[in-house]
Amino acid sequence: MEQTAPTLAELQTLIEMTGTINMEVFYWWCTGLMVIIHAGFLAYEMGASRLKNALASGVKNILAFAFIIPTFFFFGWWIYLAMYNGFTPDYEAAAAGLPWSSNMGPNLTDNASGIFWGAFVLFAATTASIFSGAVIERIRMSSFLILAIILGSVVWILGAAWGWHPTGWLTVEWGFHDFGAAGCVHMVAGFFALGVTINLGPRIGRFLADGTVVDIKGHSMPMTIIGLMLIIVGFFGFLGGCIIYAGSAQWTTIFGTPVTLSAVSFNTLMAFSGGIIGAYFVTRQPFWMMSGALAGIFSAAPGLDLYYPPLAFLLGITGGVVAPLADKFITHKFKVDDAVGAFAVHGVGGLIGIVGLGIFASGFPNVVEGAPDVSFTGQLMSAGVMALLGFVPGFGLSYVMAKMNFLRVPPKAEEMGLDIVEVPLQAYPESVPAYSAPGELPATKVTATA
Amino acid sequence: MNSSPITTWEGAEAYFTFADSPTAMMVILALAVAATVGAVVASVLHENHTYIDYK
Repeated sequence: MEQTAPTLAELQTLIEMTGTINMEVFYWWCTGLMVIIHAGFLAYEMGASRLKNALASGVKNILAFAFIIPTFFFFGWWIYLAMYNGFTPDYEAAAAGLPWSSNMGPNLTDNASGIFWGAFVLFAATTASIFSGAVIERIRMSSFLILAIILGSVVWILGAAWGWHPTGWLTVEWGFHDFGAAGCVHMVAGFFALGVTINLGPRIGRFLADGTVVDIKGHSMPMTIIGLMLIIVGFFGFLGGCIIYAGSAQWTTIFGTPVTLSAVSFNTLMAFSGGIIGAYFVTRQPFWMMSGALAGIFSAAPGLDLYYPPLAFLLGITGGVVAPLADKFITHKFKVDDAVGAFAVHGVGGLIGIVGLGIFASGFPNVVEGAPDVSFTGQLMSAGVMALLGFVPGFGLSYVMAKMNFLRVPPKAEEMGLDIVEVPLQAYPESVPAYSAPGELPATKVTATA
Repeated sequence: MNSSPITTWEGAEAYFTFADSPTAMMVILALAVAATVGAVVASVLHENHTYIDYK
């Protein structure tokens, strides 16, 4: 049989298709890894809940994930494509994101839309899970779901369109640089959680009448710590998803500047390590060491593509030190009951990251036409935008819900425990009581027996 | 039910079910939105009912 050499056109097609499929494969596994973030948040929140609320916290977390997916299909992706100018939508650019577009389903001429949509859905669900932990053990499930949908499918993606988009206005106008989404994901979710937590109020028993803070312990610290480590594992998918795979060209950030996975590997691991060490230095305990690891990564996230690795390590230490202190400060000073320190870890960690990049990486050029270089002022102002974008809707919506008596479960239900009231199941029915009647000892004080 | 928008894979582009029928797509989309909203409403009703004994 006669063999013929492939033509140049055939070779070109082969190369292009290989690049396209590699791109799909890359984001597919990034998305899969990001699901581990949610396995982590699930374990983390259930472990941080008292025994009487463990399953209700799990249900809440799972449902947030479930509701983000369809709502992000219905309108979230469209918001990202449309709103990069601010509040004025670009209908033409966003046409491919309409839920009835030919791009929003199996299409042999579009290998990109679904795989990018999938990755962004997981970013969206991450924001909802960040918020979820702060409000455990007393928020109504339905009000939580509404708030999670607003955060995950509207608010954060608006921030992403502004500052985590090839032509977002924060990049074009102020030179905003945020490789790892410290602003649109972590700051927005953290400040949203803060706004809701203020209106939601503390769990019963969190503060005594004289203002003394009572430490409410979750029922399984090991489950919480393992959950936090799973979140770290998933973040490698998250950070991979922050990179644009361009086929035959160099990787780029989402706003077009060149980057390598090697750069991200150096700095993510160094910041992770710094976060643990920093938190260990000030707390000596594993919950904050693992939360510090997260805060450390967020504190370096905007510049994971740029930093000298020891600098990422120092920023990680800063995040690991500051996050537990920030949590202690808002708890003691303002009597805010953020059950897992979500604001301190994500909101404050992200803030350190964005402002830190302005301090340590000013002068790096942008590639978007007309965009200014990275600057301290641009980063600081952008951090302000992200903080407001998270806080205002979180506070405003929860304020209205609280006024309608729709935000929080009744006190008797809270004392009884949400597992038996709302689920209704017990987490460990053969070992210990999962609830207590009003006036009785809380379940956490019951000694477990085999 | 023939929901295929294509009769051959040659030159096929968007090939998902009902891709060539905007009306059918809108009906399905509306049902999906209704199911999502309905689930939230059901959650509200469930809680209202559940919490009656805990007011």
